[in-house]
Amino acid sequence: MAVATETKNNFLEMTGIRKSFANMTALQDVSLSVPKGEVVCIIGPSGCGKSTLLRTANWLTPADAGEVRLDGELVGAMPDMRSTSVQARSLNAARARIGMVFQQFNVWPHMNVLENVVCPQMVVAKRGRDIAEKKALAALAQVGLEDKKKDWPENLSGGQKQRLAIARVLAMDPVLMLLDEPTSALDPELVSGVLAVLKQLAEKGMTMIIVTHELGFARSVADRVVFMEGGQIIEEGSPNVILRSPSTKRLQFFLEKLNITAFKPKSES
Amino acid sequence: MNIDLSIFTNYAPQLFLGFWMTIKIVVGAIILSLPFGLVLALGRRSRLKLVRVLTTSFIEIFRNTPFIIQVFMFFYVLPFYGLHLPAAYVGIVALAAFGSAYFAEVIRGGINAVAKGQLESARATGMSDWKAMRFVILPQTLPIILPAMTNQTLSLVKESAVLSTITVSELTMAAIKVQGETFRPFEAFIMIALMYWALNETIATIMRRLERKVSSRSNSGRASGIARADPAVKDD
Repeated sequence: MAVATETKNNFLEMTGIRKSFANMTALQDVSLSVPKGEVVCIIGPSGCGKSTLLRTANWLTPADAGEVRLDGELVGAMPDMRSTSVQARSLNAARARIGMVFQQFNVWPHMNVLENVVCPQMVVAKRGRDIAEKKALAALAQVGLEDKKKDWPENLSGGQKQRLAIARVLAMDPVLMLLDEPTSALDPELVSGVLAVLKQLAEKGMTMIIVTHELGFARSVADRVVFMEGGQIIEEGSPNVILRSPSTKRLQFFLEKLNITAFKPKSES
Repeated sequence: MNIDLSIFTNYAPQLFLGFWMTIKIVVGAIILSLPFGLVLALGRRSRLKLVRVLTTSFIEIFRNTPFIIQVFMFFYVLPFYGLHLPAAYVGIVALAAFGSAYFAEVIRGGINAVAKGQLESARATGMSDWKAMRFVILPQTLPIILPAMTNQTLSLVKESAVLSTITVSELTMAAIKVQGETFRPFEAFIMIALMYWALNETIATIMRRLERKVSSRSNSGRASGIARADPAVKDD
């Protein structure tokens, strides 16, 4: 493969990402490239750095070293020679194109369902109310919440809140979506609705990076599964290959442990 | 001790003039100190160290020194630098500076009380820090900070009495004059104590209504789902 086409194909390019927190190293020199239209699932034991890696992709957690590029343009870098105002402006512009979905939903409780989806469109994308509402209703329909548009977030179930968070992202016409354990905080019976929405998005060709514990889901939607441990990428490949016949001991061990506990209720906070 | 009721009637116009002055000064100080307090609160979380140091110093100086010293500094020291303002204006500025330091801390506390994920999700959509504050964080702090803002407002009303020491003809000054003319301190001071009380009670009542309105608006989802909540039940 020629180098030139390779960089062109790589829509999101994270190189040499390092990150330490007060007394632990979360990421040690991680690089990840995602071509357009690819769905990448990141799996790994808790504390392996998978969420941190996802959060450096839109520089929500600034890395200590390394750089992130989206479509060739710098999202964030350390060191960064640009002036702080240029950094801030281009970062905000990049984030407007990158949708992020959080484990804890983070819908805005002081706005009703429709306003949650309208607000960033008007404030960030500078759309007029008419267009923003039209787009919001389309996005809400896509996640099956069109009849909840006048409701308040606190009256939604966890699954509905998460679908609202996804609609808020979709209305911004993202070119990339980052999902940080989108179903981990949900009651088991609510997981499938959210996963169905994500699967639909994957089928439509949305570029996504999903940190997840749902191996079955990863197997069915991911083009590539990345296994992380100890702040490093240990193994990656197509889900059918690496989830069935892992080549590293560590992934093997991780999968065995998950299989045993797969049907036990999760008690993660 | 006999109470000379004629003092109330004879000197009422004088006292009400002072009362009116107190109201004007407090309202002026609040109008100045709310936006300035917000600026200070946001300044404390600025990216720029200089801004953080300046705003933090301002807040700490005005929070940790006696108000009467601050008033004297404004009133007696400013003229040395060629700034001659009428006493009432000095009073408004001094009260506003003092009030904004406290308002800033209340607002900062409110911002910190909103879950961190709210700011993150706002920033992740591409909002600048200011836009995230304006549209996502500050509206959520309003019901949190209102009770403390009420307390600060009530204390500003009371602190305004200190301005009588720099010749501002506000309510306390009026009472001192009445007392000087009549030698009836009890009547003069009980009268203005009641006036301060009435003013603060009015402010507290208005603010309580506002609190109810704000918290029912931010939780108006309850109206559709759960039956209208008991107002005594605290919403978070």
